[in-house]
Amino acid sequence: MFRIALKGILGRKARLVLTSLAVILGTSFLSGTAVFSATLNRTFDNLFSDVFRNVDSYVRSTQVIEADFGAEERQRIPVELVDMVKQVPGVADVQADIQAFARIIGKDGQPLGSEGAGPPTFGGVGQEFKGALWTISEGRFAAGPTEVVLDESSAKAGKFALNDKVKVVAQTGSREFTLVGIASYGDVRSPGGATFALFDLATAQEFLAKPGFVDDILVSGDGTLSDEELAKAISAAIPSSYKTETLTGAQITKETQDQIGTALSFFSILLSTFSYIALGVGSFVIYNVFSISAAQRQRENALLRAIGASKKQVTRALMIESVVVGLFGSTIGLFAGIGLSKALSALLKAASIDLPSGGLVVPSSAIINTIVVGLIVTVASAWLPARRAGRVPPLAAMRETAIEVVALSRRRTLFGLLLIALGAATIIAVTSGASNKWLGLGILFVFSGTITLGPVIARPVALLLGKPAEKLRGVTGTMARQNSARNPKRTSRTAAPVLIGVALVTAVAALAASISTQIDGVFTQQFKGDYAISTNARGFGGLSPSLADDINTLPEVERATGIGLLTVKIDGKGQYLTTINPATVDGVFDIGLTSGTYADLTAETIFVSQKYAENNKAKLGDTLQVTLADAQVKTLTIAGIYEFDDIAGKYTVSRDLIKDSTVINFDLGVYIKLKSGVSDQSARTVLQAAVDKYGQGTLLSKREYIDKQSGSINQLLGLIYGLLFLSVIIAVVGIIITLLLSVFERQREIGLLRAVGMTKSQVRTTVRWESVITSLLGAVVGIVLGVGLGWVIVYALRDQGLSSFSVPVGPTVSILVMAFVIGVLAAVYPAWRATRVNLLAAITTA
Amino acid sequence: MNNPSAATATNVSKIYGHGDSEVRALDNVSVQFETGKFTAIMGPSGSGKSTLMHCMAGLDEMTQGSVTIADIDIASLKDKDLTKLRRDKIGFVFQSFNLVPTLTADENIRLPLLLGNNKGNEEWIQKVINTVHLQDRLTHRPSELSGGQQQRVAVARALASEPAIIFADEPTGNLDSTTGNEILSFMRKAVDELGQTIVMVTHDPVSASYADRIVFLKDGKIAGELLNPTPELVLDYMKNLGH
Repeated sequence: MFRIALKGILGRKARLVLTSLAVILGTSFLSGTAVFSATLNRTFDNLFSDVFRNVDSYVRSTQVIEADFGAEERQRIPVELVDMVKQVPGVADVQADIQAFARIIGKDGQPLGSEGAGPPTFGGVGQEFKGALWTISEGRFAAGPTEVVLDESSAKAGKFALNDKVKVVAQTGSREFTLVGIASYGDVRSPGGATFALFDLATAQEFLAKPGFVDDILVSGDGTLSDEELAKAISAAIPSSYKTETLTGAQITKETQDQIGTALSFFSILLSTFSYIALGVGSFVIYNVFSISAAQRQRENALLRAIGASKKQVTRALMIESVVVGLFGSTIGLFAGIGLSKALSALLKAASIDLPSGGLVVPSSAIINTIVVGLIVTVASAWLPARRAGRVPPLAAMRETAIEVVALSRRRTLFGLLLIALGAATIIAVTSGASNKWLGLGILFVFSGTITLGPVIARPVALLLGKPAEKLRGVTGTMARQNSARNPKRTSRTAAPVLIGVALVTAVAALAASISTQIDGVFTQQFKGDYAISTNARGFGGLSPSLADDINTLPEVERATGIGLLTVKIDGKGQYLTTINPATVDGVFDIGLTSGTYADLTAETIFVSQKYAENNKAKLGDTLQVTLADAQVKTLTIAGIYEFDDIAGKYTVSRDLIKDSTVINFDLGVYIKLKSGVSDQSARTVLQAAVDKYGQGTLLSKREYIDKQSGSINQLLGLIYGLLFLSVIIAVVGIIITLLLSVFERQREIGLLRAVGMTKSQVRTTVRWESVITSLLGAVVGIVLGVGLGWVIVYALRDQGLSSFSVPVGPTVSILVMAFVIGVLAAVYPAWRATRVNLLAAITTA
Repeated sequence: MNNPSAATATNVSKIYGHGDSEVRALDNVSVQFETGKFTAIMGPSGSGKSTLMHCMAGLDEMTQGSVTIADIDIASLKDKDLTKLRRDKIGFVFQSFNLVPTLTADENIRLPLLLGNNKGNEEWIQKVINTVHLQDRLTHRPSELSGGQQQRVAVARALASEPAIIFADEPTGNLDSTTGNEILSFMRKAVDELGQTIVMVTHDPVSASYADRIVFLKDGKIAGELLNPTPELVLDYMKNLGH
């Protein structure tokens, strides 16, 4: 009797661990992402309070264009303001600051840092200054047009020593400098993995920006005035015609921190969204484990009822257990999450993103949130099974075996179908004109309906999916197939996490495939040349406009044209203009002009898209007021209308528009058409030489270029896959737990099979195929749902120019293969446990 | 008639525990089960009758001694070969939970053959199915069969692979006497008409009287034998043993 009691407790301990595991996983992602975000935030806050530690005032232009995605372009200020500020009483020292694009070329000819994908590459001013951002760790600051200082990381990465020649590429072209010093940024060798090339003020203006202009002025006070008084004094000393503002050190610190905070909050929201998805998936696992364990304890509960326990008491006992599991699991999950965020930080470090180490930040909100959410999810998941346990009739104690009730109610079928019908109706309503807002609700209805119907469809689908197993594996396959279908409720609950994960992955893949196809189509339609030079730099830096001009002089080239982007203000709103070179664009890059000719595009005219013209009732000859980033206002006449607006957007201008302004413009792509008869081989050689001269951009053939453009979406895809991986892990753990509990429940059956001649490897095969069938069940239904969801999302984005839906065939196949592998892997431990069943005990216990 | 032996136990001991707490479930037992005979093993609870059966059927390891089944020494077999021996050479009928709930009656009957990827002798299988009258129940699952029908399926399964020996552990223990007698008659028929060898563990004198020979066990030792028993003879014999 003692042994039986002991076994019971051990059995329950194992159950406690299994149930907690689901809670632990779900909550650890929650706490991990919260701690990681908080740590990252704090790190950047510290970084910027360090940076501006000795800056008392900060002078900059008030002219700023705010564009989409939080991008802003602030006008530069004239350099004469530097001397003006220096004269203000209370000012001890000033430094003019320039932050511009500059790329350091390594000794092997390859640029340092990764183009676009990695941290930015900066050029700036380095000089002795009391509030200096940069401190020299070796050598001295640059003086004169031939000297440069590098940040420590870059010097190390490029293996540069003092007096080495360093090639740097900037907007104006590339130039060689002598390395005279190596500098560090506060405590770190380089902030956030960015690369820096520092020059003296004159060189920086001329090489990085425009002569006579700087970005801002950093001021260090002499201590006689408070920061506020100093800022006021400086502000008063600068004539208002310069349109500047003066901030205190604290203000600029706060503003920068807030900006970074906003940028990071997108990241934090993304992380926590996916950790909540993971927790939602985990709640299915928790619910499943409670259901199974309640079913397995049916006799025990019935006995309690028989000897006088009320329904409530039985239910309450289970609820108390769930509270214990919830607290236990969430607490462990909290700590596991802290460990997880540490691993994430280590990962960043390994990716050479060097952040000042400030230690982990564990905000109390993360602690409370993790425990409370974990507890609520656990208790809520346990509620239904606990109530069901309370309803067990006392007579069940006398029954031989306790197996979960598998009867499926008609009501469930009806309710599930109703939900799906409601969802479908909502989605149809949206496709026939209702607002996109309702799509989410429709999707939610369809998902809930599918989950509700899960137990109904689980049996037929599992039996269908198990057919090959039966063909392949004979009677072991038959048993696996039947096992996966014998308790459809359990099977569907086990498959649900897989279903949700797979549906989301498939939807994202469908969206990506559609976008890819679209991009492919657009470029194939518009790009008429043979080669392209592309840059990954988005929004910061790009290809020097003179690259296209250089290539145009090559004898092998028929024509080359550069296309760039310009941020301006129209009607007070930030807008992007596409810049083209009207002299060379024709026949290389087609924007589908429907009226006007390229020759009509001058510094005084603008082209608009057909869609824009229709929406704004604009016609040829109308004028538009465009404010450039340097506050110049241009009145442009509409001289042409074009059809292809996927790349060109609403407005297209000539690059001559900014000829006489301080605005810097880059090309984002150069498109090249070869003279007929020029071999690919020779073309590639001369073009590559031209690209190498600038150290910027990648030369690609037409096909390579289009593939690269349409593949660019895959980066985003990688991130989302990575985050959904969290849910997949939980789904796998869910399968493992369910299989373990099923094996535990079927000990006698396994013992019998072993007795009549089933080998251990056959036992493992049976468990493995059951696992594979369950996993595939989730995957197949998930794919169906995901493709539907993807279609709906693509549909919802039709106004963003997404016009065609593509089924992600490749990803779908890989998902199925992965589901298979997941099934096999999840079965490893439960299958091993199944072979350990005590044969004798299994067949002799009555 | 002196038939060859289907299963032989020689000096088999099964000891649990060590030193003072040592329990000898089987104490130097030697016994032979003849081919083509129906043998019953009887004895009071704790006499070791089930342990003997488990050791001889390769379900449990003995501490000492040797067992041969169809001239194979099972002590030397690894788990995999022992499993195959049980599958190919031994048939089993247990007291309860004999069938795999997810398989049909037909699949349950053929289970050992299916596990061995062995088609078996179809003529024989049909004969077995006819003998236990299961022709019209083959597509049913165990949950759709009565207790008696389930045991008939179990008997058919034990016979299906034409094993060297069939071990039955209280096969009628969970059945009412009419159904029980029916099962025992089938087993009798299997020996008489199909030439099978059956060893049955039971504590019921009536069941035992279906056998050709009864081996009595007491305190882990052979306590005696009885040939061609009737229920009365069995009861008398048991009284003499001090049961």
